Amino acid sequence: MMRQKSSVPSENRGSALWKSILQHRYLYFMLLPCIAFFIVFSYIPMGGLLLAFKEYKFNKGILGSPWVGFDYFKTFFNSYQSGQLIKNTLIISAMKLFLYLPFPIILALMFNEVRSKWFKNVSQSVMYLPHFLSWVVVVGLLQRVLAPDNGLLNQLISGMGGDGGTYFMMEPKYFYQIMFGSHLWKSIGWDSIIYMAAISGVNPDMYEAAKIDGAGKLREVWSITLPSITPTIVILFILSLGNILSAGFDQLYLLRTPGNMQLSDILDTYIIRVGLQSGQYGYATAVGMMQGLIGLVLVIVANRISRKVSDTSLW
Amino acid sequence: MSKRWAKVWTIPVMASMLLAGCTGGKDNDSSASGTASAGAEGKPATWVADRKIKGLVFMGTDDYTEDMNPEIKAKIKEMTGVDFEIQIMKADHSIDGLIAGLAANDLPDFIAFYLNNSGRPEMPVVLKAAREGMFTDLTPLLKNTKIYSKYEQEGFLPLDTQYGVMFRPEFNGSTYFVHMNVNRQGGYDTRKYVGGPYIRKDIADALNLDPSTIKTTDQLYELAKKIKDGHFKDSNGKEVYPIGPNYWGGQEIGKLFGDLEWGEVGQFIKQDQSGKVLHESETPYAMKKVEYVQKLLKEKLLQPEFFTMDESRATEGALNGSWAIIGDMHNYLDFNQDMHYVPLGPLNTVDGAFQMQVAFKSGYSAWAIPSSTKKPEEVVKFADFLASREGKLLWRYGLEGRDYTLDADGNPLVKQEVLDLKAKDPNEAKKLGFGGVGNYWGELLGSTDIDYMADFGEMEYGDKLKKSEDQGALKIANYWHWDDKRKAANVVDGYTPNAFLGEFDRGTDLKAAFDNYKDSLVQAYYSKTPEAAQKILDNALKQMQAAGLDDYLKLVADKNNDPKTKVNFN
Repeated sequence: MMRQKSSVPSENRGSALWKSILQHRYLYFMLLPCIAFFIVFSYIPMGGLLLAFKEYKFNKGILGSPWVGFDYFKTFFNSYQSGQLIKNTLIISAMKLFLYLPFPIILALMFNEVRSKWFKNVSQSVMYLPHFLSWVVVVGLLQRVLAPDNGLLNQLISGMGGDGGTYFMMEPKYFYQIMFGSHLWKSIGWDSIIYMAAISGVNPDMYEAAKIDGAGKLREVWSITLPSITPTIVILFILSLGNILSAGFDQLYLLRTPGNMQLSDILDTYIIRVGLQSGQYGYATAVGMMQGLIGLVLVIVANRISRKVSDTSLW
Repeated sequence: MSKRWAKVWTIPVMASMLLAGCTGGKDNDSSASGTASAGAEGKPATWVADRKIKGLVFMGTDDYTEDMNPEIKAKIKEMTGVDFEIQIMKADHSIDGLIAGLAANDLPDFIAFYLNNSGRPEMPVVLKAAREGMFTDLTPLLKNTKIYSKYEQEGFLPLDTQYGVMFRPEFNGSTYFVHMNVNRQGGYDTRKYVGGPYIRKDIADALNLDPSTIKTTDQLYELAKKIKDGHFKDSNGKEVYPIGPNYWGGQEIGKLFGDLEWGEVGQFIKQDQSGKVLHESETPYAMKKVEYVQKLLKEKLLQPEFFTMDESRATEGALNGSWAIIGDMHNYLDFNQDMHYVPLGPLNTVDGAFQMQVAFKSGYSAWAIPSSTKKPEEVVKFADFLASREGKLLWRYGLEGRDYTLDADGNPLVKQEVLDLKAKDPNEAKKLGFGGVGNYWGELLGSTDIDYMADFGEMEYGDKLKKSEDQGALKIANYWHWDDKRKAANVVDGYTPNAFLGEFDRGTDLKAAFDNYKDSLVQAYYSKTPEAAQKILDNALKQMQAAGLDDYLKLVADKNNDPKTKVNFN
């Protein structure tokens, strides 16, 4: 999705656009349900953001409920938990954004170098599979593998003469490893697909030219493949910045134990617990809106920086 | 019409069909609510009205059933004229469904929801809805009923139901919810429950132990050590854990650490001997309990995941005999009808020797009628029919002739083939469509004023046909001397200490801080040193104090001084 500079004069652009739309009218008609979908399910619900400034009354609906200004935001920032929640969310999101970023790229590069078609297909399928498992299943597996005494890992440790009684899920010092490891295992295969697609679009002539110039495999990857897929990497990174304050509700909600709660309580779990389960829609909306707004600002800033630095941007 | 025009019209038609499909077509059922009731001429005495009554249930499908048997539905129609239908709103947590349902503001003739007591999380939600005029005032409608009019008689309802749930002082005599499952007699027991820790009988026998002699946590510790030294094995040949978790999954278990537990688990609030209301964290019991649990964990006497294990693994361990002592279970569990696990204790409490506590009466679940429902008096009349003996007979025992016959006293005698089918194929039996076979719909509006022994001559469905040797649960109750303990029981009526959080100005923050204390306690159990544990507990106490703990405890003490809001600290 490269930004392209148009050479069409602006006064003619409008009529040319309409001409083009008219020419492809059936295609545009086919687009209508999709547009309707986004209007109904994405744009109209945005009106609900009003709730962040209103005290919701069951009988008066969103528009009829009284205004409360920025009360919910004040309440949130005055809450003793807010600092911890924001900190946890940022740490976990940052790990998933920055630390995780190279892994699917490296995997895609590795798949690209596999020559045996059979092995490539099998290994790709194996890597994709975890994506289709729900977090309930994945965390269930983790609980069994990491269980004290009977868990696979602890049995391995005790088999090698160590103490097999470590309760990994309960100890805060293992939380980030477990969280990041499980996220990596579940997502890496699926996330590598888009990079695979980008790699397959690289002109093979360039590799041939590089070979003639005496480049080895690593040089090819470094000087041809990576620069060719950089726009894809940048765009995906900018898009994922929008979710920086959404650290992954399902995973964190399930991984949370009393032992690691100081690290695993995030804004998403807080919204569910305090906002929705207590019927405080306004409060939940305010916190959710804050997440969204920060995400939007980050996307805009990152997009601008990227446009200046690399000429690759979303718009 | 030309092909070109056909093309042009196709898209808008498709789009409008799509949009029409997306809009949740407002159910015509509610309009049916208002259909005029037929005259009572020639109708049975149980006749209500010729109309449809639809309910939306914000409770789990494990507890209630929306698929009704057609013959049962026809019988309801014949007896009352009502075409009855319920729909269960599925949600991850029933309260999420309730909130979403209320916010959608598109409710049918009645709604039903969980409500054990006024301290349950659903209460502030439905209270908010009632205050905002979403529900019908039921007080005048209950007056003219046979069963529900008892709710307005002095002394029929337990305190919490009367003043906390239904006739709240703020409503000045009006009521917007009907609390269900209230027994006809105070202190009435529908079952002889024996809950608490259980020990594997073969292990107790091998150790020459009378399980009822274990009265203190110190004795429990010594017993756990003996079990560990005995190297007993489970059904897979693996060594057992001396103390395993609750049968239903890991959690804090008050009955196992009885003499170290301040108040009920989850409440942790109790009055001390001087009459002062204290939270557990303000007493030495919190740290004593932490040190005790740490000792058990360190010496591998307690299953390391005792507080957190998921249900499937905890149950699997119990079925395999992997826990020499199961932290908590009860005598009606199928797997133990041969009594291979027997009750341990009961352990003393912080007040001294164990005494059975029996609730005077208690409620469970509630229903309300939205203010948009037309002719709400017909819904109340229908609920009153379901709460009558005739109604109960229908939703509990099914159809006469098909599912039961009547004995000489007019009580139902369940057909053996129905019991056999229930034992052999419970899902098929459920299709017969009544409570006895696990199809629960009538309980929603009809399960109250309960006295099954008086109404049907048996406490449990089909008791009369069950042979005594099959009744392992009762054998366990006898083993535990249930009858003697029941005679010496303390019949209590009152609010739970956390019931006033909804009216406390910092209730939400304090509730979060209470939850945090519960988690901090577990965190403290797993901390490496007593100092680290103390620090965790101190932090949790500070958070509770910042959220208004001291004021809340004062409020609880004030409430306890009011005879209308007596608090049950046991």
